Amino acid sequence: MTALVADKLTVKRGNATLLDGLSLSLGPTGSVAVIGPNGAGKSTLLKVLAGIEAPTSGRILLGDRDLASLSHAARAHALGFVPQHFDPHWDLSVGELVRLGAERGERVPQESVNRIVAAFELSGLDRRRWSTLSGGERARVLLATVLVVDPPVLLADEPAASLDIRHRLDVIQALAARGRDRLSIVVVHDLDLAFSFFDRIVLVDHGRVVADAPARALLDDPRLDTVFGVRFERLRTDDGWLLRARL
Amino acid sequence: MRVWASLALALLLAIIVAACAGHDWASPGDVLRAIAGDPSLGARLLVEWRIPRVLAAALVGALLGLGGTVFQGVFRNPLAEPYLLGSAGGAALGATVALLVPLAVPQSLLLPVLAFAGAWGATILVIGISRVSGAVDAAGMLLAGVAMAAILGALRSFLMLALSDETVSLQIVLSWVLGGVQTPSWPVLGLMTAISAACLGLTLVLARNLDILGLGETMATSFGLNVNRFVMLAVLAGSVVVAAAVAFGGLVAFVGLASPHIARWLVGPLHRPLLPASALVGAIVVTVADAIARSALPPAEIPLGLVTAVAGGPFFILLLARRLRT
Repeated sequence: MTALVADKLTVKRGNATLLDGLSLSLGPTGSVAVIGPNGAGKSTLLKVLAGIEAPTSGRILLGDRDLASLSHAARAHALGFVPQHFDPHWDLSVGELVRLGAERGERVPQESVNRIVAAFELSGLDRRRWSTLSGGERARVLLATVLVVDPPVLLADEPAASLDIRHRLDVIQALAARGRDRLSIVVVHDLDLAFSFFDRIVLVDHGRVVADAPARALLDDPRLDTVFGVRFERLRTDDGWLLRARL
Repeated sequence: MRVWASLALALLLAIIVAACAGHDWASPGDVLRAIAGDPSLGARLLVEWRIPRVLAAALVGALLGLGGTVFQGVFRNPLAEPYLLGSAGGAALGATVALLVPLAVPQSLLLPVLAFAGAWGATILVIGISRVSGAVDAAGMLLAGVAMAAILGALRSFLMLALSDETVSLQIVLSWVLGGVQTPSWPVLGLMTAISAACLGLTLVLARNLDILGLGETMATSFGLNVNRFVMLAVLAGSVVVAAAVAFGGLVAFVGLASPHIARWLVGPLHRPLLPASALVGAIVVTVADAIARSALPPAEIPLGLVTAVAGGPFFILLLARRLRT
């Protein structure tokens, strides 16, 4: 099991400071939702944690190793990254995409490929081309392609944002469920989904961590209202809380 | 499997028809007798001149198919073609020097060597410029390539104007630029075959990473690919292939653009099958086009690049339209 530690990460692009000395200690298991307003630095944080972009300063520890010292293959195997937008340039079939995912890093046995294909209900779609898939099918194919190597750490930049509610719940639940025995870090835009499904919430603003707490503890925190610039009504429901925003 | 058998059969047929075609048409029987060692003059001409030329045309086409596939894969752009990064301009400049500047080296040797050096040198310059200017991504390279093509084109025009006189005709430069396969001797043809096989091997090494690059740069990076380094390596390898094609066959328009598309319709977009399929398609197209170039207007020969553009263009548009309708 691998823990992920961010140590004083700063990312500057031109004059803009996207991450400002951000520190965070995660894992080795758990489901973590990263929330924050637009431009808070959520996507940048995820890309830096995944090793896709290098920080201007600061470092990331994966287990006891510096992420920058890992080989590309080892990093690809340890960190699964689900981008917000995924549009493969060539019209590959579902089977070809999942196999490309399986071929990164170390060898993945065929049973694991079959298992992930079954888990995401893609068995009948093996020969279907990407261009013919619906949005929900595409999200499942993307998750299967990333998760086929069963990475100990998953970083997802809410891939479900544009899906209808049923498929969105499917995807968010699948991502959060990985937190039971792995580390699953997900940028979530719908706050109710974040508070319903995730153990821990990291609230980010201006490239810094504003609050980092269990979901139940953060719900009443006034900093939530400050960061999003709204007044939240906390509504009690049968099995939890709902947030309604007022200006 | 059926696709590969059909492609191989089509290439074989194209080679046989092309061996028969020419100023004087031969029958397939004549060709077979000539290969078997018939000592007559007609048979010797077939074996020494026409058959090597036909095979050289097939190799040039195969190289263009490979080069086009690599460039479309690297730039993830269906309009990418092998001459994109200045290799056409560089090759034409090299050939112009070989054809117009009196040097103490036989032209038959100087022309392919300078064309190769020009084509590859121009691409290396483009990569160098884009690195120095900090634009190491694909878009930066494309823009540097366009600028390089303009500069090289101007240099070539200047050389042509400055160096041509009554003894050296501009026509030979023009006809080289429009493409034409030289007739190689059998040992040279053997060398060409070895180089083409090496090019196929070289591009196949790139195949899997080209597939991964096609997932987009972010995904490719998260899959462990060093994108900028791979793009540079692939462009260097692709331009070696193109430079070899240019050295053997001049500038042959359109084949490098169209072959990968046709091959993708036949075997799908994964690069491991796509590269050899595109090479076969390119070989078929150039073999047929070269046969037309030699036999359509006897005794004159039409520049090959004109045939591929005039005959290939409408054919490709037809295929594209049928493809879009289904």
